[in-house]
Amino acid sequence: MFISYSWLNRHVDLTGISPHAIARNLTLQTAEVEGVEPFAPALAEVVVGHVLSREAHPDADKLGITQVNVGTGEPLQIVCGAPNVGPGQLVAVAVVGTKLPAADGTTFKIKKSKIRGVESIGMICSERELGLGDEHDGIWVLPFAPDEKQDMIGKPVAELLGAVEGHYDWIIEIDNKSLTHRPDLWGHRGIAGEVAAILGRDLKSIATELPAHGKADPVTVKVESKGCSRYLGIAIDGLENGKSPEWMRHLLLATGQRPIDLLVDISNFVMLDLAQPNHLFDRNELSADGILVRDAKDGETMTTLDGEERKLTSADMLITSGGEAVALAGIMGGEASKVKEGTTQMLLELATFAPTQVRLTSQRLALRTDSSARFEKHLDPTLPMKAAAHLVSLLAELQPSISLPSAPAEGGDWTDPACEIPVRPDRVRAVLGLTQDELSNLRMEEMLTLLGFGVVGADQATWTIQVPSARSTKDVSLEEDIIEEVGRSFRYDNIPEQRVMAEIAPVAHDPRRSLVRRIQDRLSGSSGFDEVMTHSFVDVELCERLGTAGEPTVRAINPVAEGYERIRRSVVPNLLGLVASNLKLQPSTYLYEVGKGYLPEEPHGKFAEPREVHEAALVLAKAGTASTEVADFASSCLFELKGVVEDLLFATESARPGRGGLAGVVWASPDEDMELAPYAHPGRCMVARAADAKGKATGPVLAFVSAIEPGVGAALGLTGDSAAEVAFACVSIDDLIAANDKPILHRPIPRFPGVKVDVAFALAEATTAAEAELIIQQSGKGLVADIELFDLYQGDKVGAGQKSMAWHVLLQSDTKTLGDKDLHKFLKRVENGATRIGGELRKD
Amino acid sequence: METTLQPELQGHFETAQARIAAATSAEELRAVDRDYLDKGGVVAGLLAAIPTLPPEQRRGAGQGANQLKTAVLGAIDVRKAELEADAIQAARSGKGFDPTLPGTPMRRGSLHPVTRVTRELEDIFSSMGYGILDGPEVEIDAFNFERLNIPSDHPARDMHDTFWCKVDGAERDSDMGLLLRTHTSCVQVRAMEKLKPPFRVVVPGRVFRQESVDASHEHTFHQMEGLVVGEGLTVGHLIGTMKTFLREVFQKEIEVRLRPGYFPFVEPGFELDARCPFCETVGAGCKVCKQTSWVELCPCGMVHPSVLKLSGIDPEKYTGFAFGLGLSRLVMLRYEIDDIRHLMGGDTRFLSQF
Repeated sequence: MFISYSWLNRHVDLTGISPHAIARNLTLQTAEVEGVEPFAPALAEVVVGHVLSREAHPDADKLGITQVNVGTGEPLQIVCGAPNVGPGQLVAVAVVGTKLPAADGTTFKIKKSKIRGVESIGMICSERELGLGDEHDGIWVLPFAPDEKQDMIGKPVAELLGAVEGHYDWIIEIDNKSLTHRPDLWGHRGIAGEVAAILGRDLKSIATELPAHGKADPVTVKVESKGCSRYLGIAIDGLENGKSPEWMRHLLLATGQRPIDLLVDISNFVMLDLAQPNHLFDRNELSADGILVRDAKDGETMTTLDGEERKLTSADMLITSGGEAVALAGIMGGEASKVKEGTTQMLLELATFAPTQVRLTSQRLALRTDSSARFEKHLDPTLPMKAAAHLVSLLAELQPSISLPSAPAEGGDWTDPACEIPVRPDRVRAVLGLTQDELSNLRMEEMLTLLGFGVVGADQATWTIQVPSARSTKDVSLEEDIIEEVGRSFRYDNIPEQRVMAEIAPVAHDPRRSLVRRIQDRLSGSSGFDEVMTHSFVDVELCERLGTAGEPTVRAINPVAEGYERIRRSVVPNLLGLVASNLKLQPSTYLYEVGKGYLPEEPHGKFAEPREVHEAALVLAKAGTASTEVADFASSCLFELKGVVEDLLFATESARPGRGGLAGVVWASPDEDMELAPYAHPGRCMVARAADAKGKATGPVLAFVSAIEPGVGAALGLTGDSAAEVAFACVSIDDLIAANDKPILHRPIPRFPGVKVDVAFALAEATTAAEAELIIQQSGKGLVADIELFDLYQGDKVGAGQKSMAWHVLLQSDTKTLGDKDLHKFLKRVENGATRIGGELRKD
Repeated sequence: METTLQPELQGHFETAQARIAAATSAEELRAVDRDYLDKGGVVAGLLAAIPTLPPEQRRGAGQGANQLKTAVLGAIDVRKAELEADAIQAARSGKGFDPTLPGTPMRRGSLHPVTRVTRELEDIFSSMGYGILDGPEVEIDAFNFERLNIPSDHPARDMHDTFWCKVDGAERDSDMGLLLRTHTSCVQVRAMEKLKPPFRVVVPGRVFRQESVDASHEHTFHQMEGLVVGEGLTVGHLIGTMKTFLREVFQKEIEVRLRPGYFPFVEPGFELDARCPFCETVGAGCKVCKQTSWVELCPCGMVHPSVLKLSGIDPEKYTGFAFGLGLSRLVMLRYEIDDIRHLMGGDTRFLSQF
């Protein structure tokens, strides 16, 4: 909201107080000021000129040649096209070199020029050229007589007009959000009240009562709608609509309103002054039945004064007359009944509408107006009569001929919200953290009084604070609210800092957070992955490429963009979505993200919220095509990633001190009934589960590692020149916490040396490494301390459908040094074992 | 030793000595050893000849052979030591060494800047005895608004630009008021459900606002909520806590100012500004603070009594304060990131810098 310094000055004497000082004080005590800017800064540039003469231009009928005294001795010769320029006027002159604002927001510089052969040194300005509105039919004649202002000739125009810090006026912009709870501050008088309290000055008085009225029958006002607690209708006669006075137009311009005509301007002026929206009807356009405030009917339409036809529902409230809607209550008037040129009789509407109803209607119609913004804040129901008095008195000043033919008509059922709150001054100090010395009762009482509160029983332990109606509609109803009033008056800034004193006690431990930290440290550390954060939304286009568009998701009803409404079920998809763009820049991508996914099909808890899953997603991709030959497994992204994930599973011991570490991990193909993501490669994927004491898989899948489904890879554009090898993994943090809970116990260091032996098998292609290793383990009868695959071969030497695998095996006993005999027994058992899985022990 | 050697053996010794002196490798020394001291060597030959000598010469010849053996062995050892010392000397040479050749490549990973700052703050607050909580990103109206003293008709809701949500294939949506949390403050409610006062917690996490993205706006950003509830807590404690925290973050004394701010779940509510830590001279103004010399750091305030009451905490007995740090903003300040879109952008050229 824009606040004009000059406007404030109408309500409180600001002598000696700069606009910046006001801004600083308001920020520290009332509401956030976003900026302070001069209004119409061009007025500080142009100078007062006295038009001495005007002659016709020899070559152009419409141009005149003027001589203008700008206090520099020789008058300036200025060619001017304005019909209203003439000798004896004081005008605003842009001398050569002056910069003026251009329509496009830039500035232009005044130069010496020749117009139709006549030299012109400078320019006489119109209001529009100075940023003072649309007026450009003629030049701006300054409203002063030259004789009285001789000493101002040649001085900046702003100074003639009574400049503050060099400018005509200043605009203080206040952050609307910080006024959400202060309906009383949505007008200049409210802000002036704060300023007056800050400065300890008095607020100037304004009219509070309507002038005497005639004896005609009042306009009928009937209120049916619950959303209207007060409706005041005041008939005014003897109007002559025209241009509003310059001071009013300029104040409106300064605060961002376009001046229209006197009636519209005065209506806006009063709203911006007292925060009470109001509406003016041309009374001749209303029915003789008067006014009925009622809820709209579903499907009913009305044309608002912006020319739009609005479709309404029964949740909206209307001002009607003779069955016709004449205004959308609290938001905008109707086209047909608005005041216009020629309006002589009007009905002034001042009302109090329900904040929520106004807000919902304005939201639904996307029609936010200055009026709706104020009603939403919960306006004081005593304000309409005050605003009426103010408006009528302003109008009477400008048009003494007006009269009120009848008594004000009133409808609605309102009560004065003014209330009383018990407040304990000791409690106020206790919450603020202040002592009696720092904040005495007397000081507190003074602060509250300055802010317009009544204080009763100040000699007692509990005071009664009388809250004026302007503050009690929404904002002030509790002791804490008064604590705020006192705190801000004291200035929070002046409250001394204190240390929190508390018992030293251990803090509850979150195992997931510790685990996540370990995962991040491992991946960003030795594994060399970049941690990424992606949106929780997944683009529909990506879903389509990945084949997940049909999965149930939580969806934003109002997404930032169409197609961006799905909330991720898993962190993986958005990571896959980053592969193509990153591979354009680097040959490889190592990315991971730890995040949350939401599964709506598994509601849980008291509120049936979608289940939240916590996962670490990893993507490893390299440009180019890689061999998918089994024997080349070690160089593939898929097995590189498997290695990273296995390391992760072992490295991320449980967060509970002294516990953690998986006894072992068992890798396998996913179970038949496991549902694979459509972007997973059904033939090249694997799952890791915890191993039980016997080395068998147990519990849920801890990690899923897969190559990308080839069709999906193509859909992501990873083909041809952009071909890439992509593997991804998903580690379930929730399941890992549960699985990773074994106590960590020391095992004695082996006392006897081990024996190393290499074991090579010829095997059928379909036999897995795990099957073969199980044979080796079993053959060791507990002696196999380590086993490591070092060779995998497929090719001519072993024949089609066959492969050769070889392991380094370490045999070690806790009780003795193993000898040749032990080794022989082991190899014999291995040989037998190999035949059991359809292979043989190679002896070459 | 040479002087005690029998004159007739002197020749043998000199020949051997010449070879030893000329030897440049252990191998050559071993050859001398072999030729003189092994089976069939010179010394062995001398010893083998002893029985053919007259008896009175045998003793002398035996001694002579042994003297020769000792002398040759000694010379070999001396030369061996010399050669070893030479070798070490040679090995010490850095000839041709290039310290600028690359090390064996290791891939370097990175921690997201938001993670870095989150951890930093978590560690500071942990050290001050704060628990760290987490809460869901898909929230319900009750926790995001209602229980925070923002009922459904409250105009403050408009400030939140909420992403309202529905669930595929479910009918219960409207009752639930499912949404993406607009602040981490909803975890205040969850904390009060779970913990008994006194307690201190912080809650880092992502939050969502329905607004279009540009260099300074993201619909997804990070906050860290703080909540302290106990007996006798005051505005002074809030100020003290924030100052302590800022001292830790910026590692210097930071001036703060507290000014009124409106948030329905606190009363009184404040905006906390810090004296811009990036201005060259304090108070001078710079790009970061947009020449104001203050940076808006976090909304905060004393927990509203209604919020305490709604969670079953007696506001007469307990008071509390809460603050909502703009984590994303702090990250941008710390690393001088001028475009918020980088944070959620996923470009490894950005990520790998951290």
